[in-house]
Amino acid sequence: MNLAICLLMARRFIEKSQIRQVVEGYHDLSDAAFERTFERDKDELRAMGVPVETGSNNPLFPDEVGYRIRRKDFELPAIEFTPAETAALGLAATVWESATQAEQAVTALAKLRASGVDPDPARLDALAPSIGAREPAFASIWAATIERAPIRFGYKGRPRRVEPWAMTYRRGAWYLLARDRDKAEPRMFKVARVDAAAERIGRPGSYAVPEVDLEASWGSLEPKQPDAEVVLGIRQGRAPDLRRRGRPVSTQQEVPAGYDVLAVSYARAGDLVGEVCAHGADVVVLAPAPVRRAVLAELRATAGGRP
Amino acid sequence: MTSADQVNRLLALVPYLQSHPDAEMGATAAVFGVTAEQLLDDLNVLWYCGLPGGMPGDLIEIDMETVAESGRIRLTNAEYLSRPVRFTPDEAMSLVVALRAVRELAGGHLAEGIETALAKLERAAGAGSSTPQVAVAGGSEEIREQLAASIEAGELVELDYIGAGLAPSTPRVAPVKLITRDGYGYLQAWALDRSAWRTYRLDRIGAVRRTGTAAGEVGTPPQFGPGWLEQRPDAAEVTLRLAPAASWITEYYPIREVRTEEAAIEVDLLVADPAWLRSLLLRLGSDVLDVRPPEAAAAAREAAADALAVYAAE
Repeated sequence: MNLAICLLMARRFIEKSQIRQVVEGYHDLSDAAFERTFERDKDELRAMGVPVETGSNNPLFPDEVGYRIRRKDFELPAIEFTPAETAALGLAATVWESATQAEQAVTALAKLRASGVDPDPARLDALAPSIGAREPAFASIWAATIERAPIRFGYKGRPRRVEPWAMTYRRGAWYLLARDRDKAEPRMFKVARVDAAAERIGRPGSYAVPEVDLEASWGSLEPKQPDAEVVLGIRQGRAPDLRRRGRPVSTQQEVPAGYDVLAVSYARAGDLVGEVCAHGADVVVLAPAPVRRAVLAELRATAGGRP
Repeated sequence: MTSADQVNRLLALVPYLQSHPDAEMGATAAVFGVTAEQLLDDLNVLWYCGLPGGMPGDLIEIDMETVAESGRIRLTNAEYLSRPVRFTPDEAMSLVVALRAVRELAGGHLAEGIETALAKLERAAGAGSSTPQVAVAGGSEEIREQLAASIEAGELVELDYIGAGLAPSTPRVAPVKLITRDGYGYLQAWALDRSAWRTYRLDRIGAVRRTGTAAGEVGTPPQFGPGWLEQRPDAAEVTLRLAPAASWITEYYPIREVRTEEAAIEVDLLVADPAWLRSLLLRLGSDVLDVRPPEAAAAAREAAADALAVYAAE
C-alpha cells in the first residue's frame, strides 16, 4: 500500500535504495528481506493491473533503474453513468453465485461507488439474475483465460494442452474456446467435462488471442439443424412444445381416438425418442418404423419392472 | 484473503471514504463485501499508510475514536488518493459478465441503460471481445416485458403455462420477480389457486394476460438461491442408478451427489414434483438401472404401461 502511494506520488523514477529509505515498513528490514518484500509487493501491484514502470531519469546512466506508477494508468477513468445504468450495475454485483467471482464483482462496484456512482437498489427490484460456476475446473480455467496462460487438463479421458481464448455461459453451463496445441486448431470444451483443476504449462501472456468470430464459434453450441422427420399422434390439448414444432399431416395409418397427427422434424434420434417417451401416453410414434420400435423398447424397459 | 486483495480494497476504500464522509461502518462493510471486523482491520492498516517519510503529517488520518464510539468513519489527509484504482482484469470481467446476465433477463424498459452501461464499463476496463458471452434460456422478450410491467404495476396476470409434467395450465398469479437459476429464467409468483409461492420457467410461458386487477400485498417470496429445493418441505431424495449414457443428466439437473462406478453412475436427486420425476424416468428409459426408493418409479411404470396400451389398441 505504501509502496503504491510512494510510486504514485513520485514525479520521476525512484531508485530502489530511495524506496527502501522512505517507504514505511521497508527501512527496518534486512537486505534480503527487503529485496523479497519489495519484489513481492511490486508483483502484487502488477497483478492487480497497476502498471509499475521501470526506467531511468538520467539518459547518461541508464543503468540506474528506478520505478514509478503513472497516475493515468493507475486511476479508474472518470465515467458518467445515468441512473438507469447505475441501477443495472448495482444489480450486476449480485449476480454471481460463486463466492470468488461475487467478491470480484462487488469490489469492482465498490470502486465505482468510490468514484461517486451510487446505485439505487430498488429500481430493478423485479429482476434477480444469477450465474453459477459450480464446475470444479472453473476457477483455474477462468484465471488462465484472463491471464492468457496455457494450461493442460484431462478431457473425456484424454490429456489436452490448450491456449484459452474465451469463455461463454450457455444455459447454465460454462464453455471454453481454446487453441488445442496438439491438434493446432481451435476447439470448444465444456468446462463441466474437464476432469479436475487445469494446470499451468506456461507463463501468463505467452500467446496472443487471434481475432476470431466468437459468435460463429459459439454457434456450434446451438442445437443441430433438424434433418429428419417423424409422424406423431398427439393427444388433443397435450404436448404443446411438440405441437409448436410440428405441422398437421394426414396418414393412412390408424390413429387412436382423440389424437391429432403431426409431423415433427428433429436432429438427433436419441433425443427425440427420449422426448416422446417423456410424454407417456400423450404422444405415440406413427412412423417411421425404426423410431417407433425404439420408443416401444424404451417404454417396455420402463414398464417392465426393471426397475 | 491475500495481502494483494487487501491492498486492492484499500486503494478503493480511501477514495470511497473521502467521497462519503462520516460513512457508517456496517454500510461500508456491505459495499465492499467484507465483515465489519475485516473493515476495522483495514482501517488499522490504513492508519500506518501515507506519504513517504512516515512523519505524522504524512500519514492518512482516521478518527478511530469516532469509529469506536459512533461507528462512523472520518478519513482525511489523503487527497492524493481521491480516485479509485483501476479494475483488476478479474474484477472487470466478473462485472461485465454479470451485467450481460442482467441483460439476458431484462426486457423492454428495464433493459434501458444496460447496453450503454456495458459499453462504458467495457471501455473503462479495456475489455475486448474475449470477455465471456452469456446466454440464458429466458423465453421471449415480449413475455419478459409484459411480466416486468405487471410486476411494476402490482397486477394479477393469467399465464398459459406448460409445467414440467407437460400438461398445460392457466394459473392466475401475482408476479413478483424474474430470476435465473442454472441458465434458465423463471418467474417467481404467488399462485392464487394454490395459495403458495411458485416458480414458472419463462420459456414455458406461452402467453401473459394482464387482468387489470391489483395483486395486493403478497409478501416476500422465499429465497430461490442455490439449494432452493432443499427448502421445499415436500422435496424427497431419490437415488437413480444409471447407465453411463445417461450421465448427461448430471449437467442438466441439480444433483446432490454423483458416484461413478465402472459401468454405471449413481445420482442423488431432490424431487419436489412427482410429475417431473415421472417424465425424467420415461425419458431415460432403459438407461435407468435402478431407482431407490422403488415406489418413486411407480408413476413412470404406470405411465409407460398406459402408453404401451395405446400402441396395442391401434
